[in-house]
Amino acid sequence: MIRVMVVDDHPIWRAGVARDLGERGFDVVATAVDGAAALRIIPAARPDVVLMDLHFGSGEPAGLSSPSGAETTGRIIDGWPDTRVLVLSASGAHADVLAAVQAGASGYLVKSASVEELVDAVRRTAEGDAVFTPGLAGLVLGEYRRMARQPRSDVPTLTERETEVLRQVATGRTARQIADALVISHRTVENHVQSALRKLQLHNRVELARYAIEHGLAE
Amino acid sequence: MPAATDIMTPLWRGVVVLRIITAVFAVGAIIVHHGGFDRPDLGWAALAAIVIWTVLTCLAYSDDRTRCSHVIVADLLVTLALTACSAFVLSPQQLTEVAQRAPLLPTIWACGPVVAAGVHAGRLAGALFGAITAALEIWLRGAFTTDLACDALLLIGTGFVLGMAATAARQATEQLRRAARVEAATAERERLARSIHDSVVQVLARVRSRGGQLDGEAAELARLAGEQEFALRSLFSAQPPGAAGEQDLADAIQLLASPRVEVSIPATPVLLPASDVDELIAVVREALSNTARHGGPGAKSWVLVEDLDTEVMLTVRDNGPGINTEQLVDAASGGRMGVSRSIRGRVADLGGTVTLDTGPGRGTQWEVRLGRVRQGALR
Repeated sequence: MIRVMVVDDHPIWRAGVARDLGERGFDVVATAVDGAAALRIIPAARPDVVLMDLHFGSGEPAGLSSPSGAETTGRIIDGWPDTRVLVLSASGAHADVLAAVQAGASGYLVKSASVEELVDAVRRTAEGDAVFTPGLAGLVLGEYRRMARQPRSDVPTLTERETEVLRQVATGRTARQIADALVISHRTVENHVQSALRKLQLHNRVELARYAIEHGLAE
Repeated sequence: MPAATDIMTPLWRGVVVLRIITAVFAVGAIIVHHGGFDRPDLGWAALAAIVIWTVLTCLAYSDDRTRCSHVIVADLLVTLALTACSAFVLSPQQLTEVAQRAPLLPTIWACGPVVAAGVHAGRLAGALFGAITAALEIWLRGAFTTDLACDALLLIGTGFVLGMAATAARQATEQLRRAARVEAATAERERLARSIHDSVVQVLARVRSRGGQLDGEAAELARLAGEQEFALRSLFSAQPPGAAGEQDLADAIQLLASPRVEVSIPATPVLLPASDVDELIAVVREALSNTARHGGPGAKSWVLVEDLDTEVMLTVRDNGPGINTEQLVDAASGGRMGVSRSIRGRVADLGGTVTLDTGPGRGTQWEVRLGRVRQGALR
């Protein structure tokens, strides 16, 4: 049984999502109102998947000093590498979603997604797949394009194939359709997507480490 | 209003201080010169009048409510009257003979109304009051000398320059206030957006997703909730146009999102001239409404915005039945304004290119590319 933790500051959503997942055979082991609470609970709850909202502190009184959704994601991935984070956000705050994905989230789903899509996304996240919605593909593609505009040589770049696959995902094609169109296997499509995401996350880690060293934060 | 008062208060305080210092000077001058007066009694009366009027005007100028044109005009008249008294008080020698000349009764105290007029009503009023005061002095002296010219110039100049300073200060305050108002409105909008986003939108989204699994009326309610959810979200994510007439294309495209239109945009703004953004939005709308008309009930659309630095790429795709190429040609040759021609026309006018990829059963994909004119290249 897949163990799920729901982090959302809105009580209606928290209860609703927990119920939807419980009804469909998931084990909702914990819920949390914000990042600080999530980090407190996680050692005991040991979820396989954390469903993470990115905005805390409005639906219900949350901790004032709670880390952001992206920061919480980063800390979860650092402390519990087997745990996967799926960002579930109603927010149009694309920068926050991108930050969470760079910090290690395996996917992003909008809150307006149907319950079937949510169930499918949690299942795939638990299996280690990246949940790539068109919106996330557009964000990742946009981030690579932004980095390409910088006069730096140490930024990651996409291969032509990866760009092609991301563009197809971003315009709503399924992995199956992309595989058929490009005459490659379904698995290869998945690999291209994963690779694009991993390079971005790796770059993020390198940047963080460099920042820490430059500012004397590392031991 | 409080902001404007705040900036003018120090200026008025200056007017009051100047009034008091010049009054002290005038009193001293009368005491020094009263021995030569034709009418010392009238001289003392003028001294008393100067003191009393100084107190009254200082009180009036210290309060925002009594700093009005009436008071300032009255100030001018009283000051002119006291100046004119000099004709009776001073001896003819003191009045007109260059060698033995004594100052007129109010001396530099006469600058009071000039300064007040400048601060209150701007440079022209200041200069006018200065000119009137100077004219009376010249008329009393009966001759126009270099000294009098200096006095006149100083009076007019002081009124003029102070008036300019006051107007500039007022305008700066007004601009500041306007900026503060815009900032406050933006903050309020964000606050509203945040609270609505965290309450209403969440509930609507929940109704939509839960009701979507049910049949009949519940499903219909869910669909309605979903439409409102998208409408609210779009409303609050819209940004006002940025500087230099540029607008964020990604942001504008996001407003087109709906349950049947999924939008993929970068996390950073895609800035283009506002008119280009409007036109591209019209293009996307046209493609989307074409899908809505001919795509069938299950058709969905996706819009992708990409910023390639030298050009901006816009992809609109649907999973409808696709457009038959022959139909397109028929529509064009039949004189009807086909969707293809309209879209191509719009993009061509912008200086961009369009690629249409469609066919029966394949859906429709428009790819619009628009080169970016670098701002630096224009200058």
